Amino acid sequence: MSTTANPTIDLGPGAHGGADHHDHAHDHDHGHHTLTGWRRWVYATNHKDIGTLYLWFSFSMFITGGLMALGIRAELFTPGLQFWQPEFFNQLTTLHGVIMVFGAIMPAFTGLANWMLPLMLGAPDMAFARMNNWSFWLLPPAAALLIISLFVPGGAAAGGWTLYPPLSLQFGMGMDLAIFAIHLLGISSIMGSINIITTILNMRAPGMTLMKMPMFAWTALITNYLLVAVAPVLAGAVTMLLTDRHFGTHFFKAVGGGDPVLFQHIFWFFGHPEVYIMALPAFGVVSQIIPTFARKPLFGYHSMVYATASIAILSFMVWAHHMFSVGMPATAQLFFMFMTMLIAVPTGVKVFNWIATMWQGSMSFETPMLFAVGFVCLFTVGGFSGLVLSIAPVDTQMHDTYYVVAHFHYVLVAGALFSLFGAVYYWLPKWTGNMYSERAGKFHFWWSMVWFNVTFFPMHFLGLAGMPRRIPDYPLQFTDFNAIATVGAFCFGLGQLFFLYNVIHTIRGGVGKAPANPWDSPTLEWEVPSPAPHHTWETPPDEALVKKGLVAQALE
Amino acid sequence: MTAATLALTQQRANRRLAIKLAVVAALMVGFAYGMVPFYNVFCEALGVDRARPELADTHAAAMRVEFDSNVSAGLPARLTALEPVVAGRAGGLIKAKFRLENLSDAPLGIRAVPSYAPERAGRFLQKLECFCFNALTLAPRETREVTVVLLVESDMPQELGAVTLSYTLYPLEENAHQEHPAT
Repeated sequence: MSTTANPTIDLGPGAHGGADHHDHAHDHDHGHHTLTGWRRWVYATNHKDIGTLYLWFSFSMFITGGLMALGIRAELFTPGLQFWQPEFFNQLTTLHGVIMVFGAIMPAFTGLANWMLPLMLGAPDMAFARMNNWSFWLLPPAAALLIISLFVPGGAAAGGWTLYPPLSLQFGMGMDLAIFAIHLLGISSIMGSINIITTILNMRAPGMTLMKMPMFAWTALITNYLLVAVAPVLAGAVTMLLTDRHFGTHFFKAVGGGDPVLFQHIFWFFGHPEVYIMALPAFGVVSQIIPTFARKPLFGYHSMVYATASIAILSFMVWAHHMFSVGMPATAQLFFMFMTMLIAVPTGVKVFNWIATMWQGSMSFETPMLFAVGFVCLFTVGGFSGLVLSIAPVDTQMHDTYYVVAHFHYVLVAGALFSLFGAVYYWLPKWTGNMYSERAGKFHFWWSMVWFNVTFFPMHFLGLAGMPRRIPDYPLQFTDFNAIATVGAFCFGLGQLFFLYNVIHTIRGGVGKAPANPWDSPTLEWEVPSPAPHHTWETPPDEALVKKGLVAQALE
Repeated sequence: MTAATLALTQQRANRRLAIKLAVVAALMVGFAYGMVPFYNVFCEALGVDRARPELADTHAAAMRVEFDSNVSAGLPARLTALEPVVAGRAGGLIKAKFRLENLSDAPLGIRAVPSYAPERAGRFLQKLECFCFNALTLAPRETREVTVVLLVESDMPQELGAVTLSYTLYPLEENAHQEHPAT
């Protein structure tokens, strides 16, 4: 790995390979922790710095994608065309989807894993500190490609985030930029997941066996296995699109003997596990927060692990439930329908475990707990609407309507995003060394909770009444619910600026210094001081310390 | 073991695992491409209809003609379209074959009654030859191939897109008489 031997280098834990192989004219010989200013971030190899970068990046993408969502909602406030031409509206829906999925949710969970896993497992850093730097720094160029694509002739990709051919074969160069962005994001995800899996499997503290890891580590492990398996499939699918567009292949062109439906199969073979890539880490976060604030160990730890694993395995066998309307044989529809319904079983196990964890606990409702409980309630609503959609004959009716939009926003916003908010409030004291304002946090929660439902609940009705998704204009009878949803969306968006204010306020001191373990939680990340020093667990935690935490979690 | 050698062993183990995972990722790219031939084989094996080049010809308007077949209740016969989807071209001919089977041990008189969906498509598909023109009598357990030849009118409107031509088999009146030895 290293080509130069530098005896003066500080071989900090995690700085594998020793000398820096970027050959710069200036001298920075004492390891990464001496770097200041922009160099600290651009050359970052420390898992905490990289985690911070990931989190800020995903927040900025969240705001970007959120502004696009507001563009969509503004247009849909009343029937008729107000602000955008239909072409641009379609670009907004496409980029909103791509940016939120690949730019906001996924990097946020990778960032959390980066920040927290070494702390929770008692490892000095991630397994591959330099690769970690690269996985992060591929993200901003990918985001830039997506943003730039708005300004090229023909505009950005406009066929929806699923990039279905034949539309995606017909767009201008905006589509190529989106394809390259997805390539970069895919490479970044694969490297990130190799790093996370290796860290979890090889670098746990002595005494912490796999079945004694925090649930967050389990969900991160399984999620990243999913990513290693399916991110390359997406890369393959978009590469086929690219060669169909420019190099005369006919994977998806019926003229040359290909089939556009084949793309849907390949895409959803990636796309369905992707759903769980965004959901499982949320389960992990909630499984850390709920036991802490219920002051009880997680109920059914083992069943939680098995449920997570079975969700992951089942996720490979249900992809065609996104395609019930393409004309599959009835036998295939039944197979995918029953497999999909089966996923409700392990998911139900999880929901009941969370409820059982809270049962007779001495609960308190600090902001992280509010978000976690909000998650359990609303994610279950999204799960039920998913169950409705899993029924093939119902889905033939609801396919591509606002019911689907309502469903996946319940699982992605109230699911993944709420868990991320919960995680940020939960670990902010550890990250910044300061306590956030509980009043402000609670306000953020209730504000989000109310306006989220105002935005997305009416979409169920719109979908049931037959409003198709991805349309810039609609018949008059859909006006009222659309107007309500738009008001909700703008208020929800405003509330997220308040979240930004909360975080900055906490970084600047918040309401006072945070103790090392403000929540009295038994996992290892609370054993290091707050704020977490730049280097932690340079010597692994001793077995007694690990054992103490495991006993408190009822794992030993 | 000293701390340094311990770190080295760990590093080596990490690298081994990373290489394994990278190999899995590379294989999964291959899997994505492997789905292409697999898809073709799968569609063929299951008889699933897939996109066809002859229907995607952008130079000449192509009409998708689907053949559907039904048998009236209780009739011991089977009618199968040998090629259920064909491409029609304005001014061109369509020749489709069906397999007709008598599943009973007695001779069977039948007649096939055609219908179109959408109905107006009937105007643009002219039957030059059809097994539905005549009443047919099948010997016991007989299997027979029958043909339909259609002329697509040259003024076929492009927006028609797809047409379903459905045949339903009905028993002939005589059947009833044959089956009753009394008559």
